[in-house]
Amino acid sequence: MIEIQSLTFRYEGADRDALRDVTLTVPDGAFLGIIGPAGAGKTTLAHAIGGIIPHAVRGDFYGAVRVNGSDTAETRLTDLSRMVGTVFQDVESQIISSVVEDELLYGLENFGVPRDEIEERLTFALEQVGIAPLRHRTVSSLSGGQRQKVAIASLVALRPGILVLDEPTGELDPFSSRQVFSLLRTLNREYGMTIVAVEQKIMLLCEFADRLAVLSEGRIAREGTVRQVLCDIRALEEIGVNCPRAALFSSLLAEKTGAEVPVCVNAEEAVEAARRVLG
Amino acid sequence: MILAEHVSYSYGGGGQSVSDLSFRIGKGEFAAILGENGAGKTTTVKLIDGLLKPTEGRMTVNGLDTAKTKVSERARQVGFLFQNPDRQICRNTVRDEIAFGLRAVWGKKEKDRIDERVGELLDLFTFTGDEEPFSLSRGQRQQVALASTLAVKPAVLILDEPTTGLDYRECTRIMEFIRTLNEKEGTTVVMVCHDMEVVLDYARRALVMAGGRLLADGPVREIFRDEVLMERASLLPPQIIRIGGRLGGTFAEADDAETLASLVADEAERRRGA
Amino acid sequence: MTDLFQYVPGNSPLHRMNPVTKIVLTVSVCAAAFLTDNLLVLLFLLVFDFMIGITAGAARKAFSVFRGLFRVSVFLFILQTLFVRRGNRLFWIVTDEGLLTAAAVVLRLLVVCLPLTLVLTVTRVSDIAGALVQVLRVPYPYAFTLTTAIRFIPQFMEEMSGIMEAQTARGVEFDTRNPIKKLGMLLPLCAPLLISSVRRTGATATAAEVRGFYLRTWESGCRKYGFGPVDLAAALICAALIAGAVLIP
Repeated sequence: MIEIQSLTFRYEGADRDALRDVTLTVPDGAFLGIIGPAGAGKTTLAHAIGGIIPHAVRGDFYGAVRVNGSDTAETRLTDLSRMVGTVFQDVESQIISSVVEDELLYGLENFGVPRDEIEERLTFALEQVGIAPLRHRTVSSLSGGQRQKVAIASLVALRPGILVLDEPTGELDPFSSRQVFSLLRTLNREYGMTIVAVEQKIMLLCEFADRLAVLSEGRIAREGTVRQVLCDIRALEEIGVNCPRAALFSSLLAEKTGAEVPVCVNAEEAVEAARRVLG
Repeated sequence: MILAEHVSYSYGGGGQSVSDLSFRIGKGEFAAILGENGAGKTTTVKLIDGLLKPTEGRMTVNGLDTAKTKVSERARQVGFLFQNPDRQICRNTVRDEIAFGLRAVWGKKEKDRIDERVGELLDLFTFTGDEEPFSLSRGQRQQVALASTLAVKPAVLILDEPTTGLDYRECTRIMEFIRTLNEKEGTTVVMVCHDMEVVLDYARRALVMAGGRLLADGPVREIFRDEVLMERASLLPPQIIRIGGRLGGTFAEADDAETLASLVADEAERRRGA
Repeated sequence: MTDLFQYVPGNSPLHRMNPVTKIVLTVSVCAAAFLTDNLLVLLFLLVFDFMIGITAGAARKAFSVFRGLFRVSVFLFILQTLFVRRGNRLFWIVTDEGLLTAAAVVLRLLVVCLPLTLVLTVTRVSDIAGALVQVLRVPYPYAFTLTTAIRFIPQFMEEMSGIMEAQTARGVEFDTRNPIKKLGMLLPLCAPLLISSVRRTGATATAAEVRGFYLRTWESGCRKYGFGPVDLAAALICAALIAGAVLIP
């Protein structure tokens, strides 16, 4: 469980707070999407959960972040990373090894996982992420989507309860983006891993996440289930967050007909809602 | 005008080859190139810009064969906005950055003309000119890159995934600039874009690629409505097109949420009346 | 160019050799090249380099390194011939000793560069680091710095060619043949390249830390780097190379 209490953070040398009085609880097993315009504090929030802030980044830190009960400011980053795995925005710089297998071994070896358990964890992570055939490939021969999966697998091998990802599909095409998110859903549903994903592509979040947190100027502007957050399209637009056209359609349909139209998060729901209105 | 005649290109090492591309993009068009990763989209736009020379066939832009045109001459005709603005930006202030490309193309002697043009662009993009590009946000850096690309008033503007990494507002701002340019100045725009909603909103023509070949070429709406084609190219049409298509009949002709909602509301009204 | 330092999987004797042995072999070849002034010995070392390349199944790469160094070699050769003033004048200001010294310098350059790139072709960078830590007990942070630096080379080159492409697109004439002009154009690009590299190394360090960088000791690696008959053979070759370089006048 992640508990964030009145968290305020200002980067060293910055003239305004990156996060202002953020309070948020993420229960175990949740799949939370974080969205918001550029500069709203999404990356800062993701890094605060993983302990990168305050451990590896300098600045003024007020409030508290607790992961499974441990205060992140008082726990060593190395110990925190046994509970939270962070996938950085720039995957390129996150991958340390030149061969896929080594990348997974790295963390396993460092954390002193017993030798007889390593092979099992390695194959498990590779299979879960769906990259078993890539085991002996060099990282430089992989596509962007495959590299993203290697980064995720290297953390999955360590079996953290929480996985935090900062724009995991930033440089990917729609097909690979969906693949990455359906992988996250599998990890979430089948292994109960808590997922926190910062993402610009709202349609992906609507399809795969359970909950959404909308950040605006360092504050949490909206938080709730995907449907709850999408209810107020106007407010989202004002913050600078796009919403799926299906949701826009359903809200316009409700406006024009005066009928009860539920918020639609995808095309299928919208088709159904329209058919119901048509009778 | 861009004219590709049986253009093929193959890389020695990595990169997707393209084969036998033939198309003609007229002045003032707004075309999008669609396809999954590895379909050859970026190779195609680099061929238009002359960054790559065809191994077979001929590519001409405004009557000039790209294989025989000098870099500076081509840069006057074609502007290229890359996905990553940081590869383009190399100066310490926004003003200097915009002037840099102008100097390369117009020559250093044209100082007054360059200063005037830089001033125009700073106003247009509401920059003071003294900002340091590397302290700006990604979206603002993309605007700096766009400003310096537009500085030389290219007749053709190429965009390679211009909205990657931008938020909704930044994306809209960049795309609105480009739309105005296309409508007011008649700049030909060729865009590679993964966001189908952006393509639907801004482009008028779509070229669909798969495996290095041109699969289809036509008006954006018709292309998106061709489900078999979309499937073949591994593309997912925009939500409204999918909703309208599923509802069928006149609904399939709507391409924005407003129109579709009105159509459904009117039809519901009519049915209730009957 | 970008694949110059790239590991190529394989199962040749060189692939199976202990990484430490490979480093020793490389160092021995380099040492031998600097210990001798005998052109025939240098020539032999060059042939030896190519034999290693062929054994490693990387003959083509060896030739491409050779080709890549050709221009520099010609330049060096001319420079050396013009600067060495001793010996008998053959023609113009060129002396016999000048020619010989120049040939030795160029041969030495080639002899030294080849094994350095070949090592990276037949050894994973992580194995080099692993063996250094495990066998030689090099502190892990040093080994990490080494591996990271090597891993960044292809990325750096990719970034550089991306930047050059972007600049070409806006009219900077990189295709100029004048090397001084080209250098003048490249310099302003170093700033963005440096900024992105520094940003990257910072991220890499954090990424390593969250995966237990500070917990790693010489015992952590689960691959064992033992020595076998290939290593013994290599050690004998090393000794022979150095002895030859010293003893043959």
